[in-house]
Amino acid sequence: MRESTVMFLHYITAILIAITGLIHLLANNDPGIGAVIKANSALYFGNMAIFLAALLYHAFNGVRVILIEMVPDKCWTKWISWAVLIVGIVTYAVGLQVLMVALGFA
Amino acid sequence: MSSEEAKEYALPPEVLEETIRASEELWKPVRKIKFRIYKYNPRKDYAPHWEEHELEVSRGMTVLDALLVIKGEMDHSLGVRYSCRMGLCGSCAMMINGKQMLACQTRVLEAAGDGDVVELRPLDNFPVERDLAADFTSFFEKHKAVKPWIIRNDEVELNNPTGPYKQTVDEYARYYQFTDCIKCGACLSACPTAATDYEYLGPQALAQAYRYMVDTRDDGLDVRIPIVDSEHGCWRCHFAASCSDVCPRGVDPAQGIQLLKKLLIKRKFGFKPHKPAEALPAKVKAERKE
Ligand code: SF4
Ligand code: SF4
Ligand code: FES
Repeated sequence: MRESTVMFLHYITAILIAITGLIHLLANNDPGIGAVIKANSALYFGNMAIFLAALLYHAFNGVRVILIEMVPDKCWTKWISWAVLIVGIVTYAVGLQVLMVALGFA
Repeated sequence: MSSEEAKEYALPPEVLEETIRASEELWKPVRKIKFRIYKYNPRKDYAPHWEEHELEVSRGMTVLDALLVIKGEMDHSLGVRYSCRMGLCGSCAMMINGKQMLACQTRVLEAAGDGDVVELRPLDNFPVERDLAADFTSFFEKHKAVKPWIIRNDEVELNNPTGPYKQTVDEYARYYQFTDCIKCGACLSACPTAATDYEYLGPQALAQAYRYMVDTRDDGLDVRIPIVDSEHGCWRCHFAASCSDVCPRGVDPAQGIQLLKKLLIKRKFGFKPHKPAEALPAKVKAERKE
């Protein structure tokens, strides 16, 4: 994947974090629309799944960028990207499972 | 010019006198300044050290003038790179009291300010060639990597040109400021990303890539994209803009990099900044001559 695609997604996920984070806050605090979201567990779970994916992508890509800049050796660059991707996917899988258990989907 | 005409252009005696007086004033020694100079020859020395020299300086004396006096009269072994002595070749960039500047364009008193010490060391973020001269090998390799020349696909026109390529003033204005780069290295030296990421292409090379990518005569956009859109390419710029802050030519490489990022994203959605310019037909050329 081209670096521009990775970074474009980085910016998109930043916006997604803000939107899904706001929905999450509303769901837990707002008695009007929030209560409706909370009552629909599929919607609540979907929002949390997107929030978690965006958050992890943004955070792990940030870590990848820092590592690439700190370990500039070209042969390490690809390894760093792969390692971060794998750790990110595993973390997401664990996070999703925790969510599913907490919301009674599993 | 006849002698009568020459007389017409001659300065009135009082103006001439004033000019001579001002010039003498400019070169009269006014203050003693201590120069603290970094000395290191990586081929011989175990570690760098500092040497100090004191010099009477005048108001007009540049740091390069002072260095040449020191080299001529106090330390013949001093390594310093220079050529044009007028801010055009980019050879004499160095750290002057901690900031990237051209030695030939910086006056000693301006650098010293209220103090009486001027500290000189080679550019940060560069390996040392010797003393104040930095090693530009990797800098020029990065510059070359972005293919800083016009790329065209019309072989026939290239090999047998029928006229100059068409370009309007507005099209020229898109990249004009970046053509002022003298490759002095000050921007790369000030860049915080380049301080840790040695593979980072850097502000100079990236701004030059942008300069050619938006030049309407160029058709190399897609050739350069894989080079600049890489892990150590333009996305590693954090827009601190220290590069633009130190550029002695007033180029704004940080802006060039942000525009380059925009161009890459737009290209993702199929946008191309221009069609490669056509050559002006020979007829127009002939008309212009008339
Ligand atoms: S952009 Fe400015 S600072 Fe950088 S190399 Fe060119 S002239 Fe020097
Ligand atoms: S704006 Fe970008 S290239 Fe310029 S100094 Fe900052 S990080 Fe480096
Ligand atoms: S000697 Fe050419 S820029 Fe200073």
